[in-house]
Amino acid sequence: MSGTGIRVAALDDIPEGEGITVDRAVTGTEDDIALLRDDDGSVWALNDTCTHETASLAEGWVEKGHVECPLHASRFCLRSGKVEGLPATRDAVAHRVEVRDGEVYLFPNETSS
Amino acid sequence: MSATPGRIVIVGGGVAGVSTVAALRAGGYDGTLTLVDAGEFPYDRPPLSKDYLAGKRDFEQIALKPAGWYETQSVRLIRRAQVTALLPGQGLVQLADGTTLPADRVVLGTGGTAARLPIPGAAEVGVQVLRTVEDAGRLRDALPAASRALVIGAGLIGAEVASTLAGLGCAVVLADPAAPPLAAAVGPELAAWLHDQHRTRGIDTVAAGIASLRRTSRGIEALLGGEKEARVVDLVVLGVGMVAATPLAEAAGLEVDRGILVDSAQRTSNPAVLAVGDVTRSRADGTQAGHWDAARRDGERAAATLLGRPAPVASAPWFWSDRHGRHIETVGRMAAADRTVVRGRLGDEPFAVFGFRGTTLVGAVSVDDTFAVRTARRLLDGAIPVDADLLADPSTNLRRLLRG
Ligand SMILES: Cc1cc2nc3c(=O)[nH]c(=O)nc-3n(C[C@H](O)[C@H](O)[C@H](O)COP(=O)(O)OP(=O)(O)OC[C@H]3O[C@@H](n4cnc5c(N)ncnc54)[C@H](O)[C@@H]3O)c2cc1C
Repeated sequence: MSGTGIRVAALDDIPEGEGITVDRAVTGTEDDIALLRDDDGSVWALNDTCTHETASLAEGWVEKGHVECPLHASRFCLRSGKVEGLPATRDAVAHRVEVRDGEVYLFPNETSS
Repeated sequence: MSATPGRIVIVGGGVAGVSTVAALRAGGYDGTLTLVDAGEFPYDRPPLSKDYLAGKRDFEQIALKPAGWYETQSVRLIRRAQVTALLPGQGLVQLADGTTLPADRVVLGTGGTAARLPIPGAAEVGVQVLRTVEDAGRLRDALPAASRALVIGAGLIGAEVASTLAGLGCAVVLADPAAPPLAAAVGPELAAWLHDQHRTRGIDTVAAGIASLRRTSRGIEALLGGEKEARVVDLVVLGVGMVAATPLAEAAGLEVDRGILVDSAQRTSNPAVLAVGDVTRSRADGTQAGHWDAARRDGERAAATLLGRPAPVASAPWFWSDRHGRHIETVGRMAAADRTVVRGRLGDEPFAVFGFRGTTLVGAVSVDDTFAVRTARRLLDGAIPVDADLLADPSTNLRRLLRG
């Protein structure tokens, strides 16, 4: 992937505590991407489909470093995608995100740390 | 509790037992941890009336934890094993094959069994229930030869089974004398609407109980209360609730009253034994949750107790139900409401109903609008005062409302 990432949204498009979906046609990833904005303003990216059933994590509840699935409330770590609460048992795939000049750039399949 | 117990045995691999195990290890417990379960492999029950029954998921896909998890967590999983006795005095747990396991503490998460009704003819026609994956398998196996089904009981499981069977093309009669069912759980307005959804999906809803069943050459003849003519069906499913699996606890001398009585730390009347999930009943207020999330949280609380830590923050009761392609969630106690406001329009999904007692929010139910219920849950947990009109206004951003 390029060194600059793919511009996927303006930061202002994503309200704090919420998420938006970016189509896989744009990101070239296996799944659509959920851009999730934590309540501290930071932005994170996970594969959009909950690993439990078929809900969109972008429609989930984002809070304190986690996203809670809108269907059965499985929790995933925004940073790592790690599953932190049943019923899901598999981690979500996390992708690195960078915010520059109010624009959100995605680095598909790169990890954050 | 004094020092952390060295050996803990968990009886029952439902969500309550498995969440106890997970929370113990996540909390740093490094003693010997054994999980004993009577079934094939610990699995999740909610899909049994939904995707599993519909044949859209298989057994592997409903496992509570993947196969390798127990090993990586250093948990000894003993499957297909029935615990037959607790010997708290001797610090032992006994299995059906005679083996004994040493245990400093025991956690009982034995769940329950499907309740049965004394219906004349029930044994002869082979009435089905739905609690275990074996029950679900029997139902699945019966489906190809069944085009007409009678579901008795339109509570959570009955309604979901009716919905799934109708979705598979079965002609379904759904009988329940309560009018409407679930009113206490979701409030009368939404209960009426939800129940009416069955009718609009072609399900024949009857406000009656079952009088008798009989097998004839035409199929199973089911006589419903107040009806003269028997209904003829191929399959009868009973969904009338659950009976807590308390025999082990009773034999061990624990205090039991339609459930193992526990305090807010999941302790039973025996200091060496804790209990979690559907098998329990609150000693303080007599409530019995019977829902998935409550069972999961019980496990987390039991783990904290065993580790000698403060209990995790409590949260308002929350559950979901999926039927006719809709996702319903409830939080709090709608039964306590004396007034409701609707966000959106009742019957026009997505929408939500908030219940108030005076000016205090006491509960919420949503149809395809989980944000509403997740907001209400946080408002309830934080005892945050909220204006009913603001909640009802669909243009109010709930997420922001909560942040103040
Ligand atoms: C069909 C169905 C659909 C449901 N749908 C929903 C839903 O949509 N939403 C919701 O919130 N809740 C739902 N529930 C309720 C939810 O599944 C239960 O609240 C939950 O399973 C309770 O978990 P538990 O661990 O307490 O008990 P259980 O899941 O009953 O597990 C108990 C386990 O203990 C084992 N056991 C019992 N006795 C012994 C023994 N002596 N030795 C060894 N093992 C033993 C059993 O084999 C079982 O595996 C549903 C339940 C059913 C049956």
